[in-house]
Amino acid sequence: MADENAPQHPAPPSAPTTSGTPGGSSSPSGAHSSGMSGGPGGPRPQGGGGRPGGPAKRGKRNFVRKKKVCRFCVDKVDYIDYKKAEILSPFIQDRGKILPRRMTGTCARHQRWLTVAIKRAQNIALLPFAAEL
Amino acid sequence: MEERQYDLIFICRPDTPEADVDKVIATLEHAAVEKGGKIEKTEKWGRKRMAYRVAKLREGFFVYLVVRSSHGEVVKELERRLKVAEPVIKYLTVRLDEELKRQEKLKRHRDRRAARRPRKTAPVPPQPSSPAPSGEQSAATS
Repeated sequence: MADENAPQHPAPPSAPTTSGTPGGSSSPSGAHSSGMSGGPGGPRPQGGGGRPGGPAKRGKRNFVRKKKVCRFCVDKVDYIDYKKAEILSPFIQDRGKILPRRMTGTCARHQRWLTVAIKRAQNIALLPFAAEL
Repeated sequence: MEERQYDLIFICRPDTPEADVDKVIATLEHAAVEKGGKIEKTEKWGRKRMAYRVAKLREGFFVYLVVRSSHGEVVKELERRLKVAEPVIKYLTVRLDEELKRQEKLKRHRDRRAARRPRKTAPVPPQPSSPAPSGEQSAATS
């Protein structure tokens, strides 16, 4: 590390004598390690470059949230059948609550159809209103 | 009045012999015809576990019918018969023709768009359902 920093920064005097030339020859690696030595200065240019591309990466919280896609849109569903309880069951909680859109990623239109379908299925005992005991 | 389509599901006690279930279906069919309707489809789903207890039972014999009629008298009569039928513990009638109409319309719309899409450069899809490029191709070829 220290030897590659040598060309850009005044480093400890022992380093440049041993390997000043290899650091200078590989300039990209040198630039990278200089960022590491510079602490917060290093990640910042990278983050600035990534900002227009990926808005999910932002600030210190460096996690990428997976984009949720409406399952019904993917399958191009035009009608959600209330008779197929196995289709509806992933969208209810164990206790029988209908899951909100923000949890499942369902689009507004399909969520509207879905709630109707779930409520119909509940009425004919295909899905529970609430978990029993 | 134009014809309407209904789904009719009813649940019998699980211990009723199938002959009795058939009898119920037969009476319903008879009543529907009498009132000017028609039972298009009959499906016996058989014994299934119910999601909650109905009449202190956990299981039920599910029967699914598709009813067509042009006035509400038919459904009224069918529901009355189901109410008095001994083995029936639960029933549900759902009017479906409008939803099926909507489904058809959406499908037509989608097919039309899939058909003309290859010529145009893809604009922003007007529908919220953003079709995947692979699915589109398959839709266009089919």
